[in-house]
Amino acid sequence: MFRKVLIANRGEIAVRIIRACRELGIKPVAIYSEADVESLHVRVADEAVCVGPAPSSQSYLNIDAIIAAAKAVNADAIHPGYGFLAENAGFARAVTAAGLTFIGPSADAMETMGSKTSARRAAVESGVPIVPGTVDALTSFAEALATAEEFGYPVMLKAAAGGGGKGMRLVTSSGDLRSAFETAQTEAAAAFGDSSLYLEKAVERPRHIEIQIFADTHGNVVHLGERECSIQRRHQKVIEECPSPINDPDLRRRMGEAAVKIGKTVDYTGAGTVEFLLADATREFYFLEMNTRLQVEHPVTELVTGFDLVREQFLVASGEPLSFTQDGVRWTGHAIECRVYAEDPANNFFPSPGTITHLREPAGPGIRVDSGVANGSEVSIYYDPMIAKLAVWGRTRDEAIDRLRRALDEYQVTGITTTLPFFREVVGDEEFVAGRLDTGFIARFNERHAAPVEPPQEHVDLAAIAAAIHYARTQQPAFVQPGANGRWKMAARAAGLRRWRKS
Amino acid sequence: MKLKAVIGDREQDLNVQIDGESVRAEIDGRIYELELREPEPGCYLFFRDAEVHECRVNKVQDGFDVSLHERSYPVAIIDPKRLRSDQDADRHHHGLAEITAPMPGKVVRVHIETGAAVEKGAGVIVVEAMKMQNEMKSPRAGVVISINVKPGDTVNAGDVLAVVE
Repeated sequence: MFRKVLIANRGEIAVRIIRACRELGIKPVAIYSEADVESLHVRVADEAVCVGPAPSSQSYLNIDAIIAAAKAVNADAIHPGYGFLAENAGFARAVTAAGLTFIGPSADAMETMGSKTSARRAAVESGVPIVPGTVDALTSFAEALATAEEFGYPVMLKAAAGGGGKGMRLVTSSGDLRSAFETAQTEAAAAFGDSSLYLEKAVERPRHIEIQIFADTHGNVVHLGERECSIQRRHQKVIEECPSPINDPDLRRRMGEAAVKIGKTVDYTGAGTVEFLLADATREFYFLEMNTRLQVEHPVTELVTGFDLVREQFLVASGEPLSFTQDGVRWTGHAIECRVYAEDPANNFFPSPGTITHLREPAGPGIRVDSGVANGSEVSIYYDPMIAKLAVWGRTRDEAIDRLRRALDEYQVTGITTTLPFFREVVGDEEFVAGRLDTGFIARFNERHAAPVEPPQEHVDLAAIAAAIHYARTQQPAFVQPGANGRWKMAARAAGLRRWRKS
Repeated sequence: MKLKAVIGDREQDLNVQIDGESVRAEIDGRIYELELREPEPGCYLFFRDAEVHECRVNKVQDGFDVSLHERSYPVAIIDPKRLRSDQDADRHHHGLAEITAPMPGKVVRVHIETGAAVEKGAGVIVVEAMKMQNEMKSPRAGVVISINVKPGDTVNAGDVLAVVE
């Protein structure tokens, strides 16, 4: 096992990895930018090295500075966490070239999975379905019609040059295809100056479901089941759970085996996640992409399987076999995670940097908080605004939701605006409680919850009274508690008493 | 202590009497008899009969931010004894509208020129913070009388980016 590991990351994930280091007797070394010198991940490390100024391009993405830091403290491995350099094959190669161990898969596997086309090829090679679609642009309406018949409706027309929904049309039957084809062409030409279209089979009400896999250097490749990550905004996950509310053992086995096949095809080692789109009605699934690192949402898998994924990453990277086999993986109960962001949910999730003036994190049965902040922490403008992850476990999904509601109510953060109020509404939402999740959830949720819930008059009044008292305490010293014993009065009395005794 | 409290866009009369740990407050005719404790600075614990209400008060730019029961309330306190013509009053009377930065960030684009006419709600300046670009909109229709920033400038929360008349 390693003696000393440098963690090339910040925030909650750096703190999480430091915890695993401590349990394994590894000395953790943090890196930090000039903006992060007082941050939590630095305070809980044994050693910490500044790698550059605040912008991540000059610090947390500065490969030379990070490797120099690892050499300077005499570390024997680097853990990249997630984000930043975690999926940078060049970084993995540079770490190895410097004589250090990179805690993650091989640079080759990272490269294969890093490109959309080679990743899709690897999936096809493994016999795993990808969303059927044309590779080249359609040349005519006749070709579009023939392809649509081949895939079966519904299909999606997409602008070859496009993005952002422009030149995109969902077509449910052959009768609608011609007009959709023509409008999509016009839109694509107007938006991108290129009218060429391609066609994909449409996945209706798609769920975003991913499979955690783990592979060691002894030929073991196992899966740890699925995570449901359908609740997303701006293509970013905000709530994840394990198992999926539509979990059935057969589907989990089929998706798990598909993910393991892909892992074997690319000779994968360490922790990885294979993402799929799942059609809600038909339960058909399609490979989307693979993340060659630890995921943000790994705690839900840990809570349900009981394994410590970061600990296993260290085991695998130091050449030891995984501590479990596929037969030893059992899923118990239900876990849900909320990503707490410094963003204003009432204002289109606008970032809300600032200083945390008060923080009280929830605790108690079934609660896990992976936090990157403390009282007084500064949430700066330079980095991702996620400040913590709240994960809960219950025997059933209903019990997990009860605990989540309770934990969200306990959670207090002041000084910055967070997504906590949004989550408090989500846990009471009928579709969420029923487990009817797909990637369109937040759009529908926003429509259902458009009207703000008015607080009780009593609370509004008490807020005004508290503000008035605070005003009196801080603005008008003379007003404070008339008749009370002030410090000056007490001191004067004590002094008077001393004089009296002496005489 | 007679004050006015502004919550949301409602201005209310507020009379608060503090006697040791007892508080008697009247707000728009509603009366509250409370017991008060202060477990830490800025934290006010009210007991109303057996009900417990924990309030946390933070001073913010133009008032206070009060958190209680999983919500936060922006409250402005107006003290008639200390009333003086502040900038706010000036701004409204002279028909000036300032476009301010809601948070620290970097100016990436400026869509307006001094002297140009703008519509209400038109995007005028784009500020980037936390990997997101945010478009500042003109709060009113009018003419741009000053622009205080250029692309590449770093701004702090509350900085006046431009003024529209």
